[in-house]
Order: sequence, then C-alpha cells, then structure tokens
Amino acid sequence: MAQATQNQIRANSSQRSLVIRNLVAWAGVVPFLVFVILFLFWPASSLITGSFQNQSGAFTLQNIIDLFTPSIMNAYMLSIQISIVTAIGGGIFGFMLAYAVIQGGLPRWVRTALTTFSGVASNFAGVPLAFAFIATLGHTGFLTALFADKLGIDIYNLGFNLYNFWGLALTYMYFQFPLMVLIMAPALDGLREEWREASENLGASSYQYWRYVALPILWPSLLGSTILLFGNAFGAYATAYALTRTLNVVTVLIGDQISGNVLFNPNLGYALAFGMIVIMAVSIGLYTWLQRRTARWLQ
Amino acid sequence: MAFLELTNIRKQFGQAVAVEDFNLKVDRGEFVSFLGPSGCGKTTTLRMIAGFEIPTVGRVAVDNVDITDKAPNQRNVGMVFQSYALFPNMTVAQNIGFGLRIRRESESAIKERVDEMLALIHLEQKGPSYPSQLSGGQQQRVALARALAIRPQVLLLDEPLSALDAKIRVSLRAEIRAIQRKLGITAIYVTHDQEEALSISDRIVVMSQGHMEQVGTPFEIYNFPQTAFVASFVGTLNTTTAEVVDSARGVLQIDGARLETAEKLDGRQKGDKVTIAIRPERFSFASEQKKANVVDCRIENITFLGSIVRIQVSIGSGKYYMDTFNNPFLELPKIGDKDQVTCSREAVLVLKS
Ligand SMILES: Nc1ncnc2c1ncn2[C@@H]1O[C@H](COP(=O)(O)OP(=O)(O)O)[C@@H](O)[C@H]1O
Ligand SMILES: [Mg+2]
Repeated sequence: MAQATQNQIRANSSQRSLVIRNLVAWAGVVPFLVFVILFLFWPASSLITGSFQNQSGAFTLQNIIDLFTPSIMNAYMLSIQISIVTAIGGGIFGFMLAYAVIQGGLPRWVRTALTTFSGVASNFAGVPLAFAFIATLGHTGFLTALFADKLGIDIYNLGFNLYNFWGLALTYMYFQFPLMVLIMAPALDGLREEWREASENLGASSYQYWRYVALPILWPSLLGSTILLFGNAFGAYATAYALTRTLNVVTVLIGDQISGNVLFNPNLGYALAFGMIVIMAVSIGLYTWLQRRTARWLQ
Repeated sequence: MAFLELTNIRKQFGQAVAVEDFNLKVDRGEFVSFLGPSGCGKTTTLRMIAGFEIPTVGRVAVDNVDITDKAPNQRNVGMVFQSYALFPNMTVAQNIGFGLRIRRESESAIKERVDEMLALIHLEQKGPSYPSQLSGGQQQRVALARALAIRPQVLLLDEPLSALDAKIRVSLRAEIRAIQRKLGITAIYVTHDQEEALSISDRIVVMSQGHMEQVGTPFEIYNFPQTAFVASFVGTLNTTTAEVVDSARGVLQIDGARLETAEKLDGRQKGDKVTIAIRPERFSFASEQKKANVVDCRIENITFLGSIVRIQVSIGSGKYYMDTFNNPFLELPKIGDKDQVTCSREAVLVLKS
C-alpha cells in the first residue's frame, strides 16, 4: 500500500518534471516565433490585405485586376526572364568556379580568397553596383574607353549595351555567381573522392561518373541554389532602378507606386508584391516537387 | 607462374618515399594481407594495384599482363574501401549493378547477377533500399558485392572492417573469407590489426616504413618472426638482449641466467649481443627436474584475460610475460613468490638485427 502511494507520488513528480521540461523546450522556440510573427507573418498579412483594399480601406479586386494590364504583365515577364537568365548563367559560372577551387587541386589560399570575395560581392548590389558598372562599362566607362583606345574596338558599336536586358543581366551576374559559389562550396566539399574512385574502379569514365554519380548527388543543392538565385534576382530593386529607367522590373514598379510622386498608389504596390509572392510560391512548389521526384534517396 | 606480380615497386610522393623494394608474387585464389602500422605504405601499395597511383619505379602484372600504366577504369580489379563509398543516390541493387551497367550488359543479365550477389551477401530483401537505410556492416557487404559483381581478376580490400563494431568485425571477416574461398578469387587485404591478418590470410606481408619486413603464412609470422619489428607487432612477445656464451651449442645469457636456443648462431662470437624473443605461452613453471632453460624468477603480477591468465615474472632485472590457460583448478602463485620458469630451446627465437 505504502509502496503504491510512493509510486503514485513518483509518477506525479515525474509527470510534473516532464511538463517543466516541455515548457523549457518551448521557451527556446519563443524568440524564433516572435521573429517570424513580427517580420514575416505580420508584414505579409498586411501586404495581402492591402492588396485587396482601395485607398480608403474598402475591399476591392481592382488592384488584382490592374495587375493584368500589359505594362504590368511586361514587368513580370521581364523580372522572370532576368531572374531565370541570371540564375542559370550565374549558377553555371559560380558552380564551375567553386568546382575549380574546391576539387581542382588549386592551392588553399585561392579558395579562401574566392570565398572572401564571394561573401562581399554577393552583397554588393544596388546603387553602388550600378554605378560601378556604369563607370566601367557605360558609354564613357573605363573599360569601354580602354577597348576603344588600345584595341580600336567600340563595344557599343558591336552591339553591347549596358542599359538593355543583357547589360542588366551582366550587372546582376556580379552578385549572382558569388552567391552560387557560397552555396555550392559546402555541397562540393561533401562530394567524396572515394565515389569517384569507386566509379572509376567499376569501369566508369569521367563523364559517366558525372552523369550517374556526381550530378545526381549534387542535384538537390543545384536545384535549391538555382531557386535561391532566382529569388535573389527577382527581389533585386536598386540595381535595376539605378542602372536604367527603361527596363521596368516589378520591383521598380512597386517603388513607383509606394514612394513615387506621380503614380502614388500603395495598394497597387501591395498587389504587385502579392503577385511576386505568388510567383515565388509557385517556383518553390515546383522546386519541392522536382526535388521529391529526383532525389528519393534523401528521404 | 604467379597470378598477381609486383616487381621492384617504389613509390615516392615528392621526396618522401612511401613504398620501396616491394616484390610480391600472389597465386591465383590466394588471400594475402598487408599488415603494418598506420602510414607504412599499405594503402599506397594497394592503390598501385588498383591504378589510383602509378609506381615511381617497378611493374604490376596480373595474369602475365603488365597493367602498370593502365587507367583504373581499364583494369579489372575490384576495390572495397574503408568508408564503403557506396553511391548514396542509388539503391543497393543499382550500386551492385553499376559496374555491369557501365559495361553495357543487358538488363536481364544485370538483374540476374545482382540477385546472385544479394544472395551471396545474404541481403536478398535489401535490393530496393538506399545505403543510408542500412547498418555499417550491411553497407560494407553491399560494397563487397558491388566489387565482386564485375567478376574482377583481383579483389582489393582496404581496411574494410575498421569502421565497424568489434562483434561485426569478427563475423564479417569470416564472411569475407568464406566468400573469397567460394569464388576462388585472388584477394589482397589491408589491415593494421594483427589478429585480423592472422585469422583471415593465406599469407601475410608485414610492412614497416614502406618496406616489407617479412612474408609468410600466419603460422610462420607468428611462430617465427624474423625481425624485432615483426616480433613486436604480431602478438605479445617478450624481447630482450642476450649475450652469446657459446655460439656452437646455442648458449646465451640474460641477466645472469643461461638460456639455450635451437637456432643457429652462425657468425656470432662469444660476447656478441643478440636480440631474442620468447612468446608468453611458451613459458611454463618448471615443475619437473628439467635441466636446460630453467631460470629463477619472481612473480610480479597476475592478470586474468578470460581464457588465459597472464603472469608477469622478473628474471634478474628484466620483466617477462608468461601465459597459461585458465582453468578453475589452476593453482596460481602469489605475487612476490619465488619460482622457476622454463621454455624449450625452440621457443627462444634469435631475431635479425
Ligand atoms: N597522395 C599522397 N601524397 C603525399 N603523401 C602520401 C600520399 N598518400 C600517402 N602518402 C604518404 O605515404 C605514406 C604511406 O601512406 P599509406 O599508404 O596511406 O599508409 P597506410 O595505408 O599503411 O596507413 C604516408 O607517410 C603518407 O603520408
Ligand atoms: Mg591506409
């Protein structure tokens, strides 16, 4: 009897300590939750509600309908195109660079230098980046002049233009490929030398190793980083804004609606941003689906 | 004619010599181990057979064909890595079938061979699993099956068990040996574990600092180590310096005690110093009135090691181990007791250098 009571007490106290332990575990999550609510859910929900309100705060679908006007549709197309082009271009270039440095048997300091550079360059965007490119490759830029003086080549005559789509893409590439380097470096580190040796030992050529082993293993990282690069370019604002006023990507339109004097309509700006969220959500969905299909071994 | 032949192999990395004067002939179907401490050049030698390293000097031949300069993917040599090195993106069946797929064998031939291999390693049910879903021991069995699936001429194993638990290590090494026997495949097995090498091999190559110390059957390596290195690396061994008293009759002296050896002492003069070695199990207490090799000792320590009892005795100023089988009726001496130990003349080994 006494034994039973004692067991009861022990059970109670162990239950209580379990509750406390759970509380403590949850307490650790609180900062994260606060952060997510304050900086993600709250702005996103106010943005979404704003998309469905007119300037006096009443419900309307007009902002969403306005998204389908040609000029706005063109802006979305342009944003998507420049993001895809620079994600793939920067992705390939960044990947090859990371590969050369990590698996290519180059001295250690080259890697350190590239990583440091990438850390800085991947954050070098916006107005300073645009002006750096104008000063280098603009009509009177340093390199433009150098080509003209030393080689007698006028790159603008040859079709180059910093202020068109490909010029903007080139400028974006400057922060895209370093991001790729930063993301792919650890993934390439994870590519074990024994896998190459095992495949060679089983008779595979270098091409077959890449085709059947290395690329499939890297695929999830490649896919993930490409989507990240896509988002990185998709959300870029100041670079495009400062470089050219003729290429209106979506972010520039949003800027016009929110802070512009002529076109001031914040609710349309919210709707534009809402459209971007939808596009990002669709691409992340696509990414997840592809990942599930192609990398079953990760589950 | 030997099946696998390494002739005069030397490998340098820059100025550092990793392997030198390596000569070995392995018969078809033989199981040979490279045994030695870490860094002695075992892996480098194995990798020269696989083609991942090219010898600085020397030739590698398999079945009378010189393969020294052939690329790894042009050789027909299967390799099992310490870290398994299974392709994580492929199922067990795909891993095993990989080499056959590269060789463009038909789907049905691949499937048949994969099933055969899965049966060989007793993992019939695991074909559709991914490597990450298997235990370490299972992964290494799959790696073995993958290497064997291509019907290699030679199977190379580089410390395949050292990442596994002790229990699995013992059972898997027996399984590896059984499979090797069943297929009659020529195998080179790298290990730093002397017990493993002794238990699994037809012959052992003991290596130290890039060169071969001794080549022989486990029996020869254990019972007749030729150098101090082999003696100390394989098993527990008492070694000491002795002085030659009578080289013709094999009489030696250690710490005032006289010992006779059955080994020849040719070329040694009275007063020369030699290194001798005696296995702990060759000592016993001198119960009967034996004449030769009976020496006075003092019991220093007694340790139970399960099936054997290890007794440490001092003879003069030197300390020696003596092993005796454990049994419940054993009358053990007490620490500090004075006693007499003996060993046969054959047990006293005289080492080179
Ligand atoms: N690729 C390499 N470059 C330089 N030195 C190496 C290389 N591979 C092995 N070595 C050196 O060669 C020696 C033998 O190494 P290894 O064959 O791996 O020894 P083990 O397998 O017996 O432990 C070591 O001193 C090691 O440092
Ligand atoms: Mg090794």
